[in-house]
Amino acid sequence: MRQVGSWFARAGVGFVRACTVAAVTMLVPGVWAAAVALGIWWGPANPWSWVAPFVLVCLGTLALSRPVCRMVRHLVRRWTTSVIPDGYRPAPQVVRMSTGYWWNGFSYERSRRDAVMDQRWRLRYTDPATWRDLRFTVIAPFTAGLIASLPPVGAAAALLWLGRPGPGAGLLGAAGVVVAVASAPYAWRPLEPVAVRFLRPSRAAALTDRVDELTAQRANATVAQAAELRRIERDLHDGAQARLVALGLSLATAEKLMENDPDRARTILREARAGASASLAELRELVRGISPPVLTERGLVDAVRALALDIPLDTHVDADLRRRPEPPVESALYFGIAELLTNAVKHAHASRARVSIAQHADHLVVEVEDDGRGAATMHTGGGLAGLRRRLTAFDGTVEITSPAGGPTRIRMAVPCESS
Amino acid sequence: MRVVVAEDLYLLRDGMVRLIEAYGHQVVATASTGPETLDALRTWRPDVSVIDVRMPPTQSDEGLRAALAARGEMPGLPVLILSQHVEQLYARELLGDGAGGVGYLLKESVFDADQFIGALQRVAAGGTAMDPAVIAKLLSGGSRNRRLDCLTERERSVLGLMAEGLSNQAIGRRLFLSESAIGKYTTSMFTKLGIDDDDDTNRRVRAVLTYLNQA
Repeated sequence: MRQVGSWFARAGVGFVRACTVAAVTMLVPGVWAAAVALGIWWGPANPWSWVAPFVLVCLGTLALSRPVCRMVRHLVRRWTTSVIPDGYRPAPQVVRMSTGYWWNGFSYERSRRDAVMDQRWRLRYTDPATWRDLRFTVIAPFTAGLIASLPPVGAAAALLWLGRPGPGAGLLGAAGVVVAVASAPYAWRPLEPVAVRFLRPSRAAALTDRVDELTAQRANATVAQAAELRRIERDLHDGAQARLVALGLSLATAEKLMENDPDRARTILREARAGASASLAELRELVRGISPPVLTERGLVDAVRALALDIPLDTHVDADLRRRPEPPVESALYFGIAELLTNAVKHAHASRARVSIAQHADHLVVEVEDDGRGAATMHTGGGLAGLRRRLTAFDGTVEITSPAGGPTRIRMAVPCESS
Repeated sequence: MRVVVAEDLYLLRDGMVRLIEAYGHQVVATASTGPETLDALRTWRPDVSVIDVRMPPTQSDEGLRAALAARGEMPGLPVLILSQHVEQLYARELLGDGAGGVGYLLKESVFDADQFIGALQRVAAGGTAMDPAVIAKLLSGGSRNRRLDCLTERERSVLGLMAEGLSNQAIGRRLFLSESAIGKYTTSMFTKLGIDDDDDTNRRVRAVLTYLNQA
């Protein structure tokens, strides 16, 4: 009984999905049919009866192709495990030049609006994704669309004929019911293979995207590295170096005073020793910021354990790593975890946290969870965006689940060989 | 005292040997790598040893591991660990066996020769010498250690100083209290923590271990 029930539920869901697919894919043929109907209605005598429908077909197809494809991608992502990237070319930024004109990556325009419009049309025309979308809008109705129409057509036939007298009508109505019910769970499914086959960006396009991504990453890494070196230079210059100069000065003074005023000399020496201690403390902090010594000595897991002991948060560390990851990955993950735990204390006001580090197939996965007030978001220039940027250098990802009121769970994954 | 010094940087090792000998102690052996350190500890069974955490061949925590291995074989062998940085994690590992005779200090603690040699002697006698930086980190670690919640503010600061390795007299000087007042605080503290040992040194080590959440 339960099996029958679940089958009916599946049929119901399938029916709704088939109707949706039919409606979306048949939108463009609908425009075509409307154009043809218009031509016939005007009759051959009207000189516009050929031109107007033709224009309507062209414009309608062009205007609807992108929304239809967007909708199809959305449906496929929602109903199946396939994800079809849209692969549209990103628009270059429209910038105002010193002459007052606007540059949109293709040409100069007098106003910002013109520049944006011009850019949009040029992008549309030159983007291979546009032609791919058009091809799909034409192919889809005759494949996925046709099959998905079976259940609604069957249902319509049943509605139309079942109420009418006569054995022929009854038979047709019954056939409609059978077709509608039998095909309902399956009729929407061809959408996925058709979309994957015809809507997925070509290999060349995917590679172009990857090259752009890597170029941006490289630029990012270079900038970040330079900034980091500048910070270290500044810290050394204002800190340890200055203190060593002061130390030398104190020693020279003490040497001079030794004969005449040994008491003052002793005071100065004592101060010099305190200065040496202070500069060591400063250097220690600096070193901790560049590469924490525990990380070098013990690796990621123990470094995170040491970190957990140092922060004012009840932190539980779960770790299962068979071998140490590459040092840059280790360092990026360590600083990532440190930042997340700091956030948990500072912003989320959490009292407990859990860190788990594990090897999942070919990924190293780190999860940080706290019981704070949640609502952590990734905004440009924020700490989490910086974390994501640092991890993208290793093709890593950051996922955030942080509803308002908590708990916050953040998952970092970095590819690495498992052997 | 017979002392072993393990440190890979020649200047520091040489300086430390001279300092220790200047105070009338005998440096029986020096070592500059992890395996050498372990050999020296096994051969000489020194009254106390001064060991650097980071040493060749791996430049990781060779020295610390040698010290832990030696204490595994010879329980209670007094070691004083020196490092450029202090970690609670390492402090717990060192104190984990509960045998005492452990010191863990920042390298710059040698700046104050009297205090350094004092710490060395305390460790040799089976006491502890923890760097104030470790203690400070413990104190800022929030209310994680529930067992200490029953102590008063004053008892806690006494415990902190005790963990650094100070005697009641020295703690009294630091807190501007009489030695007998400190004695009262320590007695009530031991009672609250349920430590009932006759030997005062053992009691102090166990209190410090409780402090480090290990007891």
